[in-house]
Amino acid sequence: MAQGGFDRRRVHGPNESFQPIFDDDYEERGALYKGWQLGQTRRKRRAEDIRPIFLNTGFIKQANGSAYIETERTKIACAVYGPRQSKSSAYHEAGRLSVEVKFAPFSSLVRRAPIRDAEDRSVANLVQQAIAPSVRLDLLPKSVIDIFITVIECDGIESCVAAATVATSTSLAKAGIEMFGLVVSCAGAVVGDDVWLDPTEEETQLASGMLLCACMPALGTTTSVRQTGRVFPAKAFQSLQLCQERCVEIHHIVAQALHEDENESNS
Amino acid sequence: MPSDSLLPGQPVPLPRGPTLKLGSGIYTRNGETRASLFGTPQHQGSSVTISRIKPHPPAPNSIVLGSITRLSPQQAVVSITVVDGVPLPPGEDFTGVIRVQDIRATEKDKVKVGDCFRGGDVIKGLVISLGDARSYYITTARNDLGVIFATSEAGGTMEAVSWQEMRCRKTGKVEKRKCAKPEGL
Repeated sequence: MAQGGFDRRRVHGPNESFQPIFDDDYEERGALYKGWQLGQTRRKRRAEDIRPIFLNTGFIKQANGSAYIETERTKIACAVYGPRQSKSSAYHEAGRLSVEVKFAPFSSLVRRAPIRDAEDRSVANLVQQAIAPSVRLDLLPKSVIDIFITVIECDGIESCVAAATVATSTSLAKAGIEMFGLVVSCAGAVVGDDVWLDPTEEETQLASGMLLCACMPALGTTTSVRQTGRVFPAKAFQSLQLCQERCVEIHHIVAQALHEDENESNS
Repeated sequence: MPSDSLLPGQPVPLPRGPTLKLGSGIYTRNGETRASLFGTPQHQGSSVTISRIKPHPPAPNSIVLGSITRLSPQQAVVSITVVDGVPLPPGEDFTGVIRVQDIRATEKDKVKVGDCFRGGDVIKGLVISLGDARSYYITTARNDLGVIFATSEAGGTMEAVSWQEMRCRKTGKVEKRKCAKPEGL
């Protein structure tokens, strides 16, 4: 961005400055599971409850499609550009998805340096795997769809991946890219004999294993399943079932967000 | 839902009777017809489509507009900026190539690229193939295809005087181009 007459030697801060707002319930969050023992119930919500979802589309004007998702402490922005001409020199009959995930420096309790690390890429891979089967890439030869995900705040990495997947699919629908169906995703944590859906960071630490499921409820198909940690097969199937039931509800939220956006642009 | 819009993956309600031709935005899977775009299905004659006016990459038989960026004795390189009447977002242009044998339909062996195009000319072309990894192949071998806008050496706008000549409005000098037949002539 070469701008004429721009003084590069000085700091161009805003004229006004504000005191940073500090997280006041940080200690309260850390103390939520103090003295919790295996076998006790989940605190603050029921095991099969997910956090309320706020989903909004089209707030990044220059992108072809964009979405913002917020589930309490998970806040993610997603922008879709393209289809663009592929920069790589090899010929690809089908289009490709390039997913880039960036964590804001203030997205977690420990500051994240603004460089690409292993976590960015693993999240990007998981989102790419969940989304790729839903997009009709055979219609877009030689093209690439750029997906940029910014994690503004992250509370539980699995829930963060699930929310990012929902936001990405919504953005793609908004961008008018042909796909087989909308992908929604839900995470479940196996804690003792229970399955806690949409776990937070603290709940993730109590879990013995995690299950992440992405599916297309409109077609009744699953696009991606990822299991980590120690989970018995019966528990894995139970979590999968619970996640899929929850995904139908999330699908309604996505549908509502898209319809709202349509009504807004018509009026 | 109050609106008639379909979500991707939602079954498309089809009227009974003769089978309709499926256009863009619709696919069939396991015998079920479903939408692949978010929008309202429209019936046009015997086909049903969900259309979105969105920029899309060139495909064979697309009509494209673009400007000449580079010339060589074998080919002219085009930066495609409009595909099927839809402008692409700035900075997201595709590169195309007009090979010397695709410039005009007759006397192909006598064509010289320099006598047909100059850098900066705006051309109208037809995509003939997806080409290689870097570029799409474009042809101008049709009367209505070729240069539609060009400036002379003096910098004036030129107008077509014949199918292979253009005259500068400022100086009256004639330069060689592969002209597109102006519309409505």
